Amino acid sequence: MLFKRKISAVHVPHCKATQDMHSEIVAPPESVTLPMSMHSGVPAVPVVSVGDHVYLGQLIAKEGEGRVSSPIHASVSGTVSAVSEKSVSIKSDGKMEKDPEMKAPKLETLDDFLDGCRRSGIVGLGGAAYPLHGKWEALRKNKIETILINGAECEPYCTADNRTMVEDAEHIKQGIEILKRFAGSKEYVIGIEENKPEAIAHLTEVFKDDPAVIVKPLKSVYPQGAKQVLLWNATGKVVAAGQRLASLGVIITNVTTLAKMARFFETGMPLVDKCISVDGSAVKNPKNIIVPIGTSMEYCFEQCGGFKTQPGRVLDGGPMMGRAVASLDEPVVKATSALVAMDLKDSVVIEPTACLHCGKCVEACPLNLNPVEFARALDIDDEDEREAILKKEDVAQCMECGCCAYVCPAHRPLVANNRAGKKFMRGRRK
Amino acid sequence: MEHYDLITVSSPHFHDNSSSRGIMLDVILALLPAVGASIYIFGIKALWLILTCVASCVASEWIFDLCTKKKETIGDLSAVVTGVLLALNLGTEVSLYEAVIGSVFAIVFVKCIFGGLGKNFANPAITARVFMLIAFGSVTSFVNPQLRTVEIASSATPLANLASHSLDVLSSGVLPPIKDMLFGFHGGTIGETCIIALVIGWIYLSAKKVIKWYVPASFIATVYVLFLVATGSPLFALYEILSGGLFLGAIFMATDYVTTPITVKGKVVFCVCCGVITFIIRRFCSLPEGVSFSILIMNILTPFIEKLTHNVPLGGSNNGK
Repeated sequence: MLFKRKISAVHVPHCKATQDMHSEIVAPPESVTLPMSMHSGVPAVPVVSVGDHVYLGQLIAKEGEGRVSSPIHASVSGTVSAVSEKSVSIKSDGKMEKDPEMKAPKLETLDDFLDGCRRSGIVGLGGAAYPLHGKWEALRKNKIETILINGAECEPYCTADNRTMVEDAEHIKQGIEILKRFAGSKEYVIGIEENKPEAIAHLTEVFKDDPAVIVKPLKSVYPQGAKQVLLWNATGKVVAAGQRLASLGVIITNVTTLAKMARFFETGMPLVDKCISVDGSAVKNPKNIIVPIGTSMEYCFEQCGGFKTQPGRVLDGGPMMGRAVASLDEPVVKATSALVAMDLKDSVVIEPTACLHCGKCVEACPLNLNPVEFARALDIDDEDEREAILKKEDVAQCMECGCCAYVCPAHRPLVANNRAGKKFMRGRRK
Repeated sequence: MEHYDLITVSSPHFHDNSSSRGIMLDVILALLPAVGASIYIFGIKALWLILTCVASCVASEWIFDLCTKKKETIGDLSAVVTGVLLALNLGTEVSLYEAVIGSVFAIVFVKCIFGGLGKNFANPAITARVFMLIAFGSVTSFVNPQLRTVEIASSATPLANLASHSLDVLSSGVLPPIKDMLFGFHGGTIGETCIIALVIGWIYLSAKKVIKWYVPASFIATVYVLFLVATGSPLFALYEILSGGLFLGAIFMATDYVTTPITVKGKVVFCVCCGVITFIIRRFCSLPEGVSFSILIMNILTPFIEKLTHNVPLGGSNNGK
């Protein structure tokens, strides 16, 4: 294409010190706490009671009724110690004993595949945490020509997807074989940022005899792994607001999600653990560790030598989109890909100054949105007018990637504004 | 493990470490070559003018903040930028007290009463210059730095000589050679004459990504092309762009963040329109100089250009509407 539109991006520091560190399975924690709402959609409903013995991988919460939900499984073996609508806690017996009835699920028809996806408890591990079956349900209606396997991993500090590609290519391969049977797509594109040469080389080697699989190196810019950005850079397509990606004949799945899916169909083991990168300026020995879901963040940091200095901010996720947590008691959830602890110096919150109207946020936005207009709209008291502007400016499209706030010289809280705008619009729709 | 007080703020948790103050500092650094050139060419009076303007700009902002009980804002250095720019837009015949009045006008009446930095709709330095142009006759009297004699505008500056629109002026010998035009040895405001110093600032600002190089270029190119078409003489058009405040205005004032459109597209449209207005004023109006007026007029039209050059969100719901 001669006039190929270039999507704006920012250059963030990669901070991928853990990139070449082999993932380590750590000793199971004494207890885990599994929130009932760690996926997008309706919360799961506990099916166990206090005192019940559970095996690793046993169902402890079934799908909630409603639009879309995901079941939750015991991530350690032991005794259920607390149950509420919000979460289930399990005291570990330290044995990590597998459910003896666990077996590979039947996989003959599309129904088997979708049912398996549903029962696996797997959600989109790239961050959206959308239940897996909800995504592949589209196979019933749409012909999917291209499946994009997202190994971009553009967030600083995050290297878990890289470890999946380097250490677990076998499951990626199996996953693609399953998709070939049930999606029958023409091409399977694995998009990987150029800053992961080992993963690119390894997967190129693994798939060298498979013409349907394309390993596509992508420029290492942020947010290369975002849906709209990856879609454009890999296929030249654009998904419009309100349109489903599948209607374009494309589905995007995260590389670790795919490997976990293959593991489930191979062994029957649902999503119970997660490789996470534990890093940041306050962490003593940054590492990639495989921990049971529900493990407290504190335990994860302890496994990495604890803190070398006092942490000021601890993030569930990377520094661009991660959520700053209030307490280290919070558990690792299904979509956690990294835990980042920033030291006090890096954690200082800089006072915002007046907007200069410089346009750097507008220029940085991958989706061409105008954060300045959002902020202006939020100051309008008349709610109808505010809604009209926010609708015109398409605030709902914002994916909160953080590019705008990253470049803002006035340190304005632009992402927080955008989020407030989106929340306001959701409220108006009701 | 002990308890930690964790900060819970919205993502992102990284920043590129830019700041408004840093940008203003870059602009000041970019202006230094022009400041140096102005003192070299026009003598010590230029230095006094610059110091007076900077001091009175900063002081008036400080006093304004104090009177209105606002948080002190002089630390963002924008008042310094305004002061330097205003001084560079004045000739050596302007008295220091006139410079003080202009500075106070720029800061208080153009910037602060609208709510301070980021809220003003017009560029303070440009507006103050236009105000002084009307208020004080001295603003249109220029010294020829080589002759060191005061002359009246209508016969001193190259721009005034060009105002005859006759190509004869090129061969009549009243215009300085191109070399002097580039180095700035001719009459004009203290900061506008040395094109080379201004271009160094332009390169610096572009390299530091404070401005896009093609934004000022679109202003200058528009003026050049229009004069080329109107006169048919590349040399005449060249003299047109090298004289007057075109480079100073295009590089440092038509790129002011606050008073120009927010999108890059909008900034280019803004500058092209400035070029057209400058051409019209220089060619068809009795005023010899049009750059200040063109920028001021376009400042006022900025919201309108923003509407016209609004970005279309990628995959937005309003596409095609």
